[in-house]
Amino acid sequence: MHGMHRRDVLKLAGAAGVAATGPWWRVGRSQAQRAKKLVFWHLPNFTPLADQLQKEQVYEFAAKHAGLKESEVEYAVVAGEQANAKLAASIEAGNPPDVIRLYESNVQFYGAQGHLIDLTDQVNKMRREPKGIFESSMAAVLYKGRALGVPLAVNPWPVHARLDLLEQAKVEYPKTWDEFIEVSKKIQSPPRLFAFGMCLGLVEDTTDNVMNLLWCYGGKMVESDNKTVVMNSAANVAGVKTIEAMFKTHKIIPQGAISWDNSGNNKAYQSRQAAFVMNPSSIYAYLDSNDKDLQKRTGLFPVPAGPKGTVNQIDTWSYGAFKKNPYPDIAKGLIEYFMQPANYDRIIQSTGGRWVPVYKRLFDSPFWREKPEFKHFINMAETGVPVSYAGSPTAAAGEVLNTHVIPKMIQRVLVDNWEAAKALEECDKRINEIYARHNKA
Amino acid sequence: MLTSRAHNPRVALSAGQPDALREELLVRAPATARRPRHSATLRQEAWLAYGLLTPTLLVIVFLVAYPFASAIYLSLQDKMVGAPGRFVALDNYLDLLRDEVFLRTAWNSVLYTAVAIALKFALGLTMALVLDQERRVNNFFRTLLFVPWAVPVVIVALNWRWIFDDLSGLLNNFLITFHLTSDIISWLSDPRLAMGCVIAVVVWSGTPFYSMTFLAGLQAIPKELYEAAEIDGASVVQQFFFVTVPRLRTIFLTTVMLSTIWTATNLQFVLILTRGGPASRTEIFPHLAYTTALGARRLGMGAAVSLVFFPLLVVLIIVLTRRMLRQADE
Amino acid sequence: MPRTRSGSRRLLKWIGNVLLVLLLVWTLVPFYWMIVTSLKPDREIYGFEATLYPHQPTLVGYARVFTTTPFLKYVRNSAIIAGANTLASLLFGCLGAYALARLRFPGRALIARGLVVSYLVPPALLFIPLFAVLSVLRLIDTHQGLILTYFSFSVPFSTWLLMGYFHSVPLELEEAALVDGCGRLGTLFRIILPMSLPALAVVAFFAFTQSWNEFLYANVFVNSVEVRTITTGLTLFIVEDVFFWGPMMGAAFLSALPPLVVYLIFQRWVVKGLTLGAVKG
Repeated sequence: MHGMHRRDVLKLAGAAGVAATGPWWRVGRSQAQRAKKLVFWHLPNFTPLADQLQKEQVYEFAAKHAGLKESEVEYAVVAGEQANAKLAASIEAGNPPDVIRLYESNVQFYGAQGHLIDLTDQVNKMRREPKGIFESSMAAVLYKGRALGVPLAVNPWPVHARLDLLEQAKVEYPKTWDEFIEVSKKIQSPPRLFAFGMCLGLVEDTTDNVMNLLWCYGGKMVESDNKTVVMNSAANVAGVKTIEAMFKTHKIIPQGAISWDNSGNNKAYQSRQAAFVMNPSSIYAYLDSNDKDLQKRTGLFPVPAGPKGTVNQIDTWSYGAFKKNPYPDIAKGLIEYFMQPANYDRIIQSTGGRWVPVYKRLFDSPFWREKPEFKHFINMAETGVPVSYAGSPTAAAGEVLNTHVIPKMIQRVLVDNWEAAKALEECDKRINEIYARHNKA
Repeated sequence: MLTSRAHNPRVALSAGQPDALREELLVRAPATARRPRHSATLRQEAWLAYGLLTPTLLVIVFLVAYPFASAIYLSLQDKMVGAPGRFVALDNYLDLLRDEVFLRTAWNSVLYTAVAIALKFALGLTMALVLDQERRVNNFFRTLLFVPWAVPVVIVALNWRWIFDDLSGLLNNFLITFHLTSDIISWLSDPRLAMGCVIAVVVWSGTPFYSMTFLAGLQAIPKELYEAAEIDGASVVQQFFFVTVPRLRTIFLTTVMLSTIWTATNLQFVLILTRGGPASRTEIFPHLAYTTALGARRLGMGAAVSLVFFPLLVVLIIVLTRRMLRQADE
Repeated sequence: MPRTRSGSRRLLKWIGNVLLVLLLVWTLVPFYWMIVTSLKPDREIYGFEATLYPHQPTLVGYARVFTTTPFLKYVRNSAIIAGANTLASLLFGCLGAYALARLRFPGRALIARGLVVSYLVPPALLFIPLFAVLSVLRLIDTHQGLILTYFSFSVPFSTWLLMGYFHSVPLELEEAALVDGCGRLGTLFRIILPMSLPALAVVAFFAFTQSWNEFLYANVFVNSVEVRTITTGLTLFIVEDVFFWGPMMGAAFLSALPPLVVYLIFQRWVVKGLTLGAVKG
């Protein structure tokens, strides 16, 4: 009996041990990251066609220009939300992708840490194209004078407006924010239809919407030295009070906006529950493929003017190449291939207006010229500013955006009923902490 | 079978000693004295135990302990994604404790966890008792009540967000169509309602865990015990407290413990439903940790936020498991 | 609930049935909404007024699931991973739970508590060091890698839960068997496991569905279509700030079916009264 025990134990332990280490046997068969010579992480574009085209371009480049076999290329699709998490994990583990599309603050964040390859030559080459590129895109990619990313799209944030409702009420698109409030009251029919689908949830879109309005009142977050935080200014107070009035007094913004995520305003507009929405043209592009009826009734306009005029927002997307890569030239080559105007234009057109081209000359194509909706775009792309205005989209600004400091401020006013000045003071303090931390490092 | 009055289970039951009943009913088996515990047997037992636990231990050491230790070490550093870390000892924790957000988040986290667990327990136990009753096609009902667990948490959260939507949501449209309210209720935007809504979703999603584990426990209770108690004149309620509950004690503990940890550390619901809003009404530690670690990319601080309740939870675990482990030592 | 002979039994049954109906409504209404959304055309989903049932039901959402994504591949992957994880968790769990519930050895309390403590660090934080571990082992983007990371929550969970159930198996039965000449492991396989079938079934279901529905690790550790699971596939229906609700809910519904079907079929093993047969006979 005792003997049986011991043998039993040994047998079992052996079996268990073998089973537990089983996975390691097959290690040899699994994908070893660096057998690949080109690793591209693709963030899904707006349309399946654009995705397809981009994939083709990757493999075309690999085969024809880099002389790579298909097995040496890794093309991975990472859904937008997870891209940040994956990228963070991969950098920590020491094997980031070779090429990936980066949002504004990502370029600055990883660039400042020295992870990105210097792509200034490529950008300069792009600038030498006839008519050049929108210089407004450079704010996102320049770090200490060098371009650490290649801008690939300059996305304005127009106001999507219901032309039919305006026509019905016999009013024009408002020129100023005061007019906007009056027009809103005329065209809305709550509770089913509110005029202004301003995003007020604890998400990035809120920062964009709120700051855009504050700029029109002369306010801003930080000065162009990227150090002096000026959130606590009279201009900002005026702007915040306007938002407060819109929400509480004039009631032109739906209550539900407080809990929206980034898709909330999209959905509101697409469901005809909001008449004015400030968003990149993803809504427009969606309508193009899915709801031509509403698309016909949609106009794209710059934001109304405040006491200090109209200021529009752009956000710039770029391609970045990570240094931790034994084949940097292949990575650079891929980006250059993507940005060749012919290749580039094909993708631009396949996104249905979601990507605004960074080459100015491409705006001359019929796709952009023939649509009245896009008539303001070129001006917006030229004069637009990033969300971190008047600073550039540094890592500090990225942290402010990603931790929703400004949405929390506006919710203090709208939910906790704080005074605008008090909320802005708290917000200013927070942002100062963040900038101080980043500037110290 | 029953040897003497003193051993009569009914007597024992009315005297309120449930364990006595368990012992008595198995009197058929030869009475064995406690096995002699000399060192040779103990050593063999130990070897056997370690052998059996090898795979579990391997998993824990390499896949849990190492990442866990790495997380603790991380919390003691000032570290951003992609950059090397700088050891700062307890600075992260101190900064956190000084932050005014901390108290609110702590209160929310405790409230959220406590209420959700209590509701899940009550609802789960009710479901289990109901499903334990004899009826036709019970299997079918059990499967239906299992549904929330069969759907990924992400989808549950997204679905409920849609249900709570002001204008397009099921709830408001239902209430308005049937004239139960005249106004739209902003479920997730109202600071008074938001936490309740999140808890409702958590409860909806997590109750099957309770009901199914309790049900399995209930099914293992021999009918004879209830029959004996009934013969003795115990009412249904008494049967519940003197037969059912004692047998399920360990399972209650186990389930509640696991569920407490999962609920306290789950961020998906808050992340998708409210992102901590409105105005921090639903901000809880796991969500704060997530926005800090991945949004702000401050891994050190993010780790500190997730571990700040760690000591409290460890104490809880030690206290609760002491009871369980001691029972087994009897 | 026991059968009593009094009229209170009928009352109890009636209460039970009423509660059952209420619980079913509470449980199934959100599921109903999910299914209904999957059957609505975009027009209705984004309609000005939300509809409580599909006015123009359509299978377009489901069609899109299969045409725009390799859904069946995802199902296959999910099945492989969930299946492997469940089997391993059950095996390791049984062995470990027996040791912790029945044997005495130094470090027992420590290991038991260690199991539970191992849950205190949330996956949202663990995934970064786990990524590093998998990278070193070259297991990123493989089935084995993902299964391994699933062990990290499944094995402790199975062990702990089974430990709880094993505690409730009467000690005397085993002692009798041991005296009769059955080895330790013999008692495990011949006495404890048969009496714990309901518990085993429950643990298996939970381990299976936990793996089937797991989201964070599947997203971070896997890229290629060959290894992707269903939950990762679901996120592809969210493109930046647009949700494609119809196909997403359709895919979600389809992915909820296997766990439900498995549960329905194996219900038979969760049978009452199995336990005392051994003693009475």
